[in-house]
Amino acid sequence: MHIPDGFLSTPVWGTLDVVSAPAVAWVARRAQRDTQDHRIPLLGVMGAFVFAAQMINFPVGPGTSGHLVGGALLAIVLGPAAASLVLTAILVLQALIFQDGGVLALGANIFNMALVGVAAGYLPYRLWVHQSRSGAIFAAGALSVMTSACLALGQLLISGLRMPSGVLWASLGLFLVNALMEGAITVAAVRAIERLNPAWVTGPRPASSRTLAGVALAALLLVVVGTLVASALPDGIQRLTGQGLDSAAWSQRTIAGLGGLALIFTLCYLGGKLISRRRSA
Amino acid sequence: MHHLVIDRWSRGSSPLHQRDPRAKLAALLVFLIVLSTTPPGAQAAFAAYAALLIATASLARLPIRGLTGRAALVLPFSATFALLTWWSGDSLRALALAEKSFLSGMAALLLVGTTPLTGWTAALESWRVPRMLILVIQFVYRYLFVIAEQAQRMRWAALCRGSGMGSKTGRFRSAAGLVGVLFARSWQRADGIYHAMLARGFHGRFVPAAPAPFGTSDALFFSACLAGCLAIRLLL
Repeated sequence: MHIPDGFLSTPVWGTLDVVSAPAVAWVARRAQRDTQDHRIPLLGVMGAFVFAAQMINFPVGPGTSGHLVGGALLAIVLGPAAASLVLTAILVLQALIFQDGGVLALGANIFNMALVGVAAGYLPYRLWVHQSRSGAIFAAGALSVMTSACLALGQLLISGLRMPSGVLWASLGLFLVNALMEGAITVAAVRAIERLNPAWVTGPRPASSRTLAGVALAALLLVVVGTLVASALPDGIQRLTGQGLDSAAWSQRTIAGLGGLALIFTLCYLGGKLISRRRSA
Repeated sequence: MHHLVIDRWSRGSSPLHQRDPRAKLAALLVFLIVLSTTPPGAQAAFAAYAALLIATASLARLPIRGLTGRAALVLPFSATFALLTWWSGDSLRALALAEKSFLSGMAALLLVGTTPLTGWTAALESWRVPRMLILVIQFVYRYLFVIAEQAQRMRWAALCRGSGMGSKTGRFRSAAGLVGVLFARSWQRADGIYHAMLARGFHGRFVPAAPAPFGTSDALFFSACLAGCLAIRLLL
């Protein structure tokens, strides 16, 4: 979910720009240190690969298809710092050239997808890769997409965007479905890559501490859940104290929520069709 | 294809094309910040911003219809949220969401439509954006369409071989195979690129053509943009 300009309130985009700028500088330094010269074109081509791999449709569910998002895959293949850098470069290009995400909102989008999204993809892989390889990769893909989406939603809500609570729950459900899809697709893609050349998927360096990774992952998830709850709850509390649980109002809300979900789904579907037709034309 | 449009626009020779990328990037940021802090409901101000953008676009001799059409790509997303906001009873804010995201997109297009990629990345580099990030941006842009076209060809070839048929697991697996092969080809291409670069004397950075100094006209352009944005924001 790329947030365009005009959606976030000034304190929110300002803070996230201020947070993301030094974080990207740090990631770039780290990536430069870890990267031999010959990997510079590799990072760029991998960015282009992620763009292109999003054109390949995976059949999921009846009549629908999904595609790779790629944050977790990059983190597994290139390591976290390089993956963050590549995703940052992609986001900059998307904001300026493809009108996908805003320029002032770039800090927010980088924070959600390139920084936290990659960390949420790398940490579970790092933690569980020795217990269950497929499980770790699945968790990497799913958590990376879920945390990015929840953070974006939280930031929109904090910025004062209001949505009926039915729609809020529906979009959380939609995020969950997307996350599970990304997990499955990431597992399949990593397996396919390994079959061609196992050396391309390097394991995490054994030196780093697993406890630290576990604590970091737990902290990350707590922050994401906390952001979401903090941004959504005032509304919920207000609703509970304001009017109680009236069953008629509830059913109305449910219907409104389902209607909203159907509307979003239709709009996204049509938008996707339009864009894919334009791209392939 | 898609990328050719912006690349063609950015190679024009209007007065706006000749301005220093740093001046244009700074002007874009000023415009976006002013727009972002405009309260919802200030319809006169939004109309004036749109007029300012259209005037700048015609100064740059860019096709207005193409520009608005591309900026409208953001509308499906913002319209969804605008509808939700409108539903929650805040119609002013709903309208502002659509207006702001559309105008921001158009402003960004004005920058990339008048500045080639090497121009604005050089501007970013002079502002101390990490060199590694700049390099990756340049490489991604350079190979984006190459790899995307390869992916498209592979998809068609797979469809010709009947990959769209059969059980769902089979199709899922075949899609994963496509991603794997695309990955392998990208990896090998990166290797080839690196050796070609070494053969041409690459030593860790691209040397841009000597940039023009930041001239008086660039300073004037930036001041005019600043004055225009502030005037609209404060007066309307």
